[in-house]
Amino acid sequence: MHDLIPFIPGSISNVWGSIPYLMPEIYLTILFIVVLVTDLIFGRNSEKLCRIIACAGILLVIHKDYQQIQLLFASGQVNGSFLFSEMLLLNRIAIDFKFIIDALAFVLVLYFEWDNRLSSDRKGLSDLYSIVIGSILGLHLMTMAVNLLSIYLAIEMVSIASYLMVAYRSDNAFSTEAGLKYVLFGAASSALMLYGISLLYGLSGSLSLFSGNLLPGLIQANPLAVSFAMVLVLIGMGFKLSFVPMHFWVPDVYEGASTPVTAWLSTLPKIAAFALLINFLRPFIYYTQWNAFNFRLTLEVIGIITMITGNFAAVLQRNVKRMLAYSSIGHTGFALMAIVTYSSTGITALTYYLAVYALANIGALALATYFANVTDADDVDAYKGLGLKYPAASVCFVIILISLTGLPVTAGFTGKVFVFSAVYGVYQQDHNLWLLFLMITGALTTVVSLFYYIKIPLNLFLKRTEILKNTQEKSYNIIILSVIICFLLVFIGIWPDMLFKLL
Amino acid sequence: MNILTLLIFTPILFGLIIAILPSSLRSSFKYITLLATLVQLGMSIWIYCNFKTGAAFGGINQESQFQFMQKLPWINLNLGSMGKMQIDYFVGIDGLSIALLVMTSFVLVIAALASWEIKSNLKGFFVLFLLLDMAVIGVFCSLDFFLFYIFYELMLLPLYFLIGMWGGARREYAAIKFFLYTLFGSVFMLLVMIGLYLSVKDPATGNHTFNMVQMMNPANYQQGSVFAVLSHQTIFGISARAIGFVILFIAFAIKVPVVPLHTWLPDAHVEAPTPVSIILAGILLKVGGYGIIRICIGIFPEIAHADAYWLGMLGVISILYGALNALAQHDLKRLIAYSSISHMGFVLLGIASLTTEGLSGAVMQMVSHGFLSTMLFFLAGVIYNRVHDRGITHFRGLATQMPKYTAFIMVAFFASLGLPGFSAFIGESFSLIGAFKSSSVNGLLPYWMAICGSVGILLGAAYFLWTLQRMFFGQVNLKGGSVWKTALTDLNIREKITLLPLALMVLVLGLMPSLVFDKINDSIVTFIHFLQLK
Repeated sequence: MHDLIPFIPGSISNVWGSIPYLMPEIYLTILFIVVLVTDLIFGRNSEKLCRIIACAGILLVIHKDYQQIQLLFASGQVNGSFLFSEMLLLNRIAIDFKFIIDALAFVLVLYFEWDNRLSSDRKGLSDLYSIVIGSILGLHLMTMAVNLLSIYLAIEMVSIASYLMVAYRSDNAFSTEAGLKYVLFGAASSALMLYGISLLYGLSGSLSLFSGNLLPGLIQANPLAVSFAMVLVLIGMGFKLSFVPMHFWVPDVYEGASTPVTAWLSTLPKIAAFALLINFLRPFIYYTQWNAFNFRLTLEVIGIITMITGNFAAVLQRNVKRMLAYSSIGHTGFALMAIVTYSSTGITALTYYLAVYALANIGALALATYFANVTDADDVDAYKGLGLKYPAASVCFVIILISLTGLPVTAGFTGKVFVFSAVYGVYQQDHNLWLLFLMITGALTTVVSLFYYIKIPLNLFLKRTEILKNTQEKSYNIIILSVIICFLLVFIGIWPDMLFKLL
Repeated sequence: MNILTLLIFTPILFGLIIAILPSSLRSSFKYITLLATLVQLGMSIWIYCNFKTGAAFGGINQESQFQFMQKLPWINLNLGSMGKMQIDYFVGIDGLSIALLVMTSFVLVIAALASWEIKSNLKGFFVLFLLLDMAVIGVFCSLDFFLFYIFYELMLLPLYFLIGMWGGARREYAAIKFFLYTLFGSVFMLLVMIGLYLSVKDPATGNHTFNMVQMMNPANYQQGSVFAVLSHQTIFGISARAIGFVILFIAFAIKVPVVPLHTWLPDAHVEAPTPVSIILAGILLKVGGYGIIRICIGIFPEIAHADAYWLGMLGVISILYGALNALAQHDLKRLIAYSSISHMGFVLLGIASLTTEGLSGAVMQMVSHGFLSTMLFFLAGVIYNRVHDRGITHFRGLATQMPKYTAFIMVAFFASLGLPGFSAFIGESFSLIGAFKSSSVNGLLPYWMAICGSVGILLGAAYFLWTLQRMFFGQVNLKGGSVWKTALTDLNIREKITLLPLALMVLVLGLMPSLVFDKINDSIVTFIHFLQLK
């Protein structure tokens, strides 16, 4: 104990020095407490207030994110700054991801209330807002974590929040079942990941990815043991990314959870997990002597399998949310393609692709909510002939699906072009056949994805039906949201520079 | 404001007007659309008249020789280590595009006139129509591959809905089949496009570029890049450039369509409403032919030279297979659809000869087929609108029932089967001359291909004349009896206004082919010269 005393002042000043770099997260923590307390004080009537506070708070956090960029520039650490003795790494990529996460979270917090099934829950939505803020905090940490311990903690934080969100409608058996499934899968995979982390620690004696003995230690260890541990760690991340074979929970959970929660799960944790994967892979890619475990090949193979499985399974689905669940698996596979390049172009393309995908996916699920609200339609078949009755929503749906398919003139198309050109650029240098296979699979699955995405416009516009249920009410908010999303998708599709200037 | 840019984006402006107007004004939508297409036709005629000819305006691989150019920086992304991503809004035309551009504008007017038959969801129909209008014009004008691709893909979605929502009984099947077929071709085209982009550097700026004109110059390819001309890269042991050529060719061959890839066409043409059939047959098929000339052969000339035999072979197969199938049809629209396949075979045969005559013939045949197929589909639509039946055997003796209609049908049929004096004769004969000449000039195509092509003309005469005899001559005998007899009135004034200019056009082009040849000749000569340089 006495030996550590000389280090204490240094550690304290390190912690103290790191705090300015953590302002968004500190604001999130305060926001979490404020929302929670508001909920407690005002009880049942607090819903609207909590929502306003949460939204305003997120806007403030976005502002703080922006200040971080200037902070990095001002302190001359353009390449990033390690915080809390290399627990976290704040760099430009992390800030970009935080921007995307916060902006999407803002939209989603607005959208929670518009889902009739979710907002009719007895509990009210106040609790959900505090859970959501907690989850955003976890997501922020995920984008910055560079220590195996902080990685695990961040993932768990997001997971626990997600469990609560999935099972939020506890009076609904379907939702509870989904929640339970999610918890079981999540617990198992995080246990496996923890096991993997402890193996890595045991083999190398270090937890920090960027310094210490982790990589040199692992190189000297038995490659089989290292590979085993790495696979376990990847399983933990794969659970959040939902790549094959860690995707089994996705369809059931996405279908069972309320639609806004599905929109949340299919976008934000996935984006954060990609940020985490970027951070996690970096030391291994740049450490030239690393040869114990071939991350690239593993991720390439996983990417191909994920694209094929996700897209082909989606073809068979009739439930809209289930179909979008499988399609989001397919999108994970496509995004993995960008990550295996591990070039700066690839990362930029990945960020763009994920932002655009998330925007479109939220739009699609919001419209699924809309149709569920007005006609109780859950299945594609139930959309028959609705297109002419609800033209605004249906036209938006078509544009959003076109973007998800990746056809011009939408942002989804430019995203695809950027990913392809990043992969091509790397292929041109190293002639790795797997990259070529990835691109061919990506192109083929685009055609497959059209086949299932088009089912929605097909039912909306092409099929006709005599029986049209009378509408109970209209959800103008969702229409406004989806019109804005459509406009953004087309606008970014034509002028992608605009988004890149922000990133 | 650049005239081409105006030409491309005029329809979308009118489309926006239609989208904003309330549905209570729906009866005015068709007039707005017609006005849009007429404005376009006026502009393209102005372009045609001001289009300069001469050796200094050959175009093809000389950027400075294109006319009505506009080049604006569009997407400029700084990609760090990989330099800048540079995409231009780059439009311009040369002899290859001008004839097709004028033909397209003309056909679009006819299609707008044919849209009078559309009765439901008028707003949706005309907005999609004008969106499609913008896309097809854009395809013929773009010189940047990225821009080209965007317009190329943008055609798909409006067409899907136009076929799917206003089509016949099997419209869903036809629409999705068309969409999937074309998308299958074009996603792989996207991969080749990106490969080309990363292989080519603009000598002026040093950035990678999507500029198609720059892609034609072998010197612009970077050493060691996938599609570099000199470095002979391979993929799976096959030359990368050959793979690139084949993928692009398949993408465009689906559009043309070339025979093993044609099966979407009869379904789509038959199920589509008349105006959409007109656009499909009159314009979209030409996008395929245009793409093969400008992009496939222009960018991969040495591969085209090496594979010309197979291109010619596919052309001959299309001619014969299409014609034989047309003989066997009982549905008038299906017959026209298969005759389209046969006629577009001549285009491919002419292209494959890689001679001046062959290529001029191919372009001429595309222009002529644009007018003729428009006329044929419009005529088929006239009957269908009156009695909702198109069975060839269900009609007999229409000549006495509808004499004016029969007159136009005879013009269209005789022009299509290649009667001298009409445009198709010029197109087909020049294609065949090219094919005949090829064996002595460059030795690419054997004589038997040209001979088989001529047999195709004979078959064409057979199915057209046989249909004429079955449907129009003899005693009046209709399947629907007296109900049909009252329904089958002769052409009304709108239909006559539509058909007369078409009939005149095919006649004028047949008598004065120089109207087309004068404008395209410099480009064709430049193109052939460029191919020999390679």
